[in-house]
Amino acid sequence: MDIRKPNVTILQPTSGADRVRSEQSKPVAEFSRPLLLSPGQDLLGYVTGHLGRGTLFVITLVSVLAVFLIFWFVIREAIPFLKGESLGQTIARLTEFLTGKNWYPEAHVHPEFGALPAIVGSVYVTAVALVLSVPVGLLCALFLSDMAPFSIRQAIKPVIEILAAIPSVAYGFFAIIVVAPWLQHTFGFSTGANALNAAMILAIMAVPTIISVAEDSLSAIGREIREASYALGATRAETLLKVVIPAAHSGIIAAIILGMMRAIGETMVVWMAAGMASQIPSPWWDLSQSVRPMTATIAQEMGETARGTVHYYALFAIGCVLLIFTFGMNLISEHFMARIHRREGGR
Amino acid sequence: MNTRFSVSRIGWVGLVIGMLVTTQAVWSAEGGLIVDGSTTVGPLGDAFAEAFKTSHPDIAITVNKTGSGDGAAALIDGRCQIAMMSRFMKDTEFTKAVVNKVFPVAHTIAMDGVCIVLHPSNPIKELTKEQITKIYKGEITNWKELGGSDLAIVAISRDTSSGTYETFHELVINKEKMGPSVEYVSSNPQAHARVKSTPGAIGYIGLGFIDAYVKAIKLDGIMPTRQTIAKGKYPASRPLFLFTNGYPKLGSIVHELCVFHLTEKGQEIIEAKGFIPLTNY
Amino acid sequence: MMLRMLFDKLFTGSAAGSVGLLCLLLIVVLGPMVWRGMGAVVFRETVEFRKMQHAIFGRGSQAEILRETEQVDGLRKPIYDTFDSFAQGIDVDKQLDRVREIYREYGDSLRQRNTPADEFTQLRSTAKTIRDRLTEALETVDQSEAISLTLQVLEMEINFAGEPQLAEFFEIARRYKKTVEGIDPGHRQEYAELLREVRDAMNTLFGPRPDQPKPPLAEHQFGATRWDLVQRDVRFLLYDEQWVQETPGQPLQKKLIPRKQQFAGTELEGWFDQIELDLKSLFRPRLRIYWQYFFDDSTPGHFFGGVGPEILGTLLLTLLAMVVAIPLGIISAAYLVEYGGDTFIIRIIRTCINTLAGVPSIVFGLFGLAFFVILFGRPCILAAAMTLALLVLPVIIRASEEAIRAVPSTYKEASLSLGAGRFRTFMTVILPAAMPGILTGIILSLSRAAGETAPILFTGAVFLGPMPRSLLDSTRALPYGVHGIATGDKVGMTMPHQQYGMVMALIVLVLLLNFLAIGIRWRVSKKLRGY
Repeated sequence: MDIRKPNVTILQPTSGADRVRSEQSKPVAEFSRPLLLSPGQDLLGYVTGHLGRGTLFVITLVSVLAVFLIFWFVIREAIPFLKGESLGQTIARLTEFLTGKNWYPEAHVHPEFGALPAIVGSVYVTAVALVLSVPVGLLCALFLSDMAPFSIRQAIKPVIEILAAIPSVAYGFFAIIVVAPWLQHTFGFSTGANALNAAMILAIMAVPTIISVAEDSLSAIGREIREASYALGATRAETLLKVVIPAAHSGIIAAIILGMMRAIGETMVVWMAAGMASQIPSPWWDLSQSVRPMTATIAQEMGETARGTVHYYALFAIGCVLLIFTFGMNLISEHFMARIHRREGGR
Repeated sequence: MNTRFSVSRIGWVGLVIGMLVTTQAVWSAEGGLIVDGSTTVGPLGDAFAEAFKTSHPDIAITVNKTGSGDGAAALIDGRCQIAMMSRFMKDTEFTKAVVNKVFPVAHTIAMDGVCIVLHPSNPIKELTKEQITKIYKGEITNWKELGGSDLAIVAISRDTSSGTYETFHELVINKEKMGPSVEYVSSNPQAHARVKSTPGAIGYIGLGFIDAYVKAIKLDGIMPTRQTIAKGKYPASRPLFLFTNGYPKLGSIVHELCVFHLTEKGQEIIEAKGFIPLTNY
Repeated sequence: MMLRMLFDKLFTGSAAGSVGLLCLLLIVVLGPMVWRGMGAVVFRETVEFRKMQHAIFGRGSQAEILRETEQVDGLRKPIYDTFDSFAQGIDVDKQLDRVREIYREYGDSLRQRNTPADEFTQLRSTAKTIRDRLTEALETVDQSEAISLTLQVLEMEINFAGEPQLAEFFEIARRYKKTVEGIDPGHRQEYAELLREVRDAMNTLFGPRPDQPKPPLAEHQFGATRWDLVQRDVRFLLYDEQWVQETPGQPLQKKLIPRKQQFAGTELEGWFDQIELDLKSLFRPRLRIYWQYFFDDSTPGHFFGGVGPEILGTLLLTLLAMVVAIPLGIISAAYLVEYGGDTFIIRIIRTCINTLAGVPSIVFGLFGLAFFVILFGRPCILAAAMTLALLVLPVIIRASEEAIRAVPSTYKEASLSLGAGRFRTFMTVILPAAMPGILTGIILSLSRAAGETAPILFTGAVFLGPMPRSLLDSTRALPYGVHGIATGDKVGMTMPHQQYGMVMALIVLVLLLNFLAIGIRWRVSKKLRGY
């Protein structure tokens, strides 16, 4: 690609100026139209300009359309699952779906669709992943923004980018082929495909997101505030913990939420590594139990479910829960991001 | 300037037309033969397709292993010409098919046994249906209770849409609902892999997947072998089917695939994949 | 004060430590996958590999392979012969049948020769005696009895020197005597079972015997194709793996019992040592850099061959997705920069883009299933590519927007002041200047699309299948292949290198794209700093 070429031509103001001068010296009518036009004078230009703008706007709306289509189709396919003959039945189904502990979608006699274990499973592995990844991610972000010299920062950035770039299925492969046997041998777990395994890998995957967003917001806090703190005799740790982090708290919260979204929406790793047992872990602190998060439930069962069955619609209902969940978190993170932008704009 | 503009405009128009034409070509292109369904029959489907590749190089056969339930649905929707199924069609599926003007015909191609497998380090050699039911319901959670070593039981099941699950569910655990701690995997090899790597595991897989890394045990006192399964002695054995819409036209490729199990090569493949050919006993 | 300093040091240390942890994690995650994945490309091939390459991919010179096969078969023949002669002694049923058959044939031939009646009776009754003795010897479970009976048979050989039909009787007797001297016929059944195991192990190691018909499936047509597989498979031939109870109530322990021990005192005792000794000349290992791995098709089940169709499918899916997503993304970004104020509509658009970026990939898959698959009639490349396009759209929009915003406004003002229209300014000034940044974003989203699995699960990817012939066929793709092969398709247990090879190919593809993007950005930032 000729990346260089346009820059070269553009970044030579002299030649441009020359051209302007030469054009001025030759009063040849190169421009057939005057420079400033009212709509009446250049109707074609006016119309094409607005048409162009309209076209661009319509194309930009594609992402809006995509979001609406996604919501519409996922919800539309979920509705037949919830819709009963009466309102009471609908409520009963919804209650069963959200609070039922039994997931027997293909049972012959009395199929049950309790998605609570899946919802809890998602929240569970995500929470554990955050517990593991937030400290590491924040410390890394602090190191990059406040401690590391420029050269080290330049060296670390690709590491983080590569961690973020490794495909999730490769992480899943790693989880099931390398981590699971290791967990089994080292800790004597009865199964290596469990919540801990999935959470560990999810933590690795969430760390890059947390670092990049948190580092941005930490860097956005200016030098002055740090220098003021140092001038008061505070150590670096105190400055960071008591001054910088509180000042950057909204960005850090946004970072954590984005990391959380990455973890909760991840499919392949939890599918391959979480063990797929449809249970609520009990006791809750026992990480060696298998769980079955929402994403994994969909991935596992959709491939073998016939279109148009109740099971099929139920899986879409889980997708719906997932969608609403991430949408909500997205709004929250946007709220915090907007606060950062406001502050930046204010300064 | 004007000419340049029109040149580029012609270029754009050309591009759009070109895209339309290619799309049209793409639209009218014909797909090959699609075989869809059970992951148990899948390896047979793959092997048959492989054998057909040499004799019919011009026919592309796609084998999708998505489960018996989806195989039936695909046949009913016309998404495939042959559905591989490890169980017979349910009456609901039949009704739906007939409503859709699809008339399923079953071709039995081989026999298979659902074998209960343990990790080879497990001293247990035999279990009864009742014991297995209790394990899968979560009432027995340690091998100690069955006379084995002190080790937590990890029960592994195929997911609920698969034909293997249905056979197990119906013939072994008598349609009882499984407990919540049962882990679900989505294919036979995956079940094999989980049992192989987990000392406390119990699982169930097709006879074709038994090897040195997992140990098949007696069910109700009967060992799953080729003889016991073919003779119907083993309690969890089942025929494997191909379903077509109506009896395929004689001499067509679909027909050839459906009767391939009768040829010598077909039987060899069935044996090589660990199933039991129908005409051998 | 000390405490504060200590805390400060600790804090700095832990921050540096967590960065170190991250680097370590990168090595721990990537190391084994890439290293072992390279094993699919660089390894020591055996003669079986060359045979396979010739038979399946038409590589290598026919004459050379034929010569090599001949040489190796020549070496293998004595191995098979020894085995067969021993196996014949064990497999009595076959011998019994043969003995009865010989007797019948002998009788027939006597009748055809018009032997005089008394001679006929006499010859036949002697032959019958031999037959009965031999049968008895074969059937008995007592070693000494078997030996004495065979000796009796052999003693009678001189009487029948002129009868070629009966020569086989004595041959069987001689062979059987050799066998019975080595083993107790009482344990014959056990030996038969062990022999079956040995035969299976031999088949995996050497492949089908030259005199056998070719198996129908490629996976059974060749022996161990790689030296590491040879070393693994020969273990099954040389040792018997048994699980034994060492302490009651505890799990069984794996034990390796040398087969040499199991066959002690028989003809086969030295056989195992001989194989172990000759292994190199039996397989002729040679270093091979199998670069064609990235381009070759594979036999069904991925037993042999490479990941060519997977890579091709992945490229096809991603490029198609990009064809859709790039124009949409750049135009959207341009609109947001050029016309995007802080109006209500723009804010909604931005929220939507953020939402799109946050939608879990599996939900994209669901949407693709409910929308594109229905639209195109079946899971196919187009449906999968469209789903991926939606997935990467927000990434491209954000990257392009950032890149366009980074172009100094002076460029734009200069261009506008020269009389260029807004469209022209954008196309000829802003876009080229923003191109490196946009390109970086595009390449990153390309790598993202190439690595995603969940959106293509139900929309157009298959694990096994023919090459797609149109965009309405489904295709194989690397990420889905990795999932299929990792969750234990059969090939994973017999040929782990194929598993690692595929995941390595995916990682290399994605990382190459990333390095490209990092490289472009580095050059651009260097240039910017230069100014």
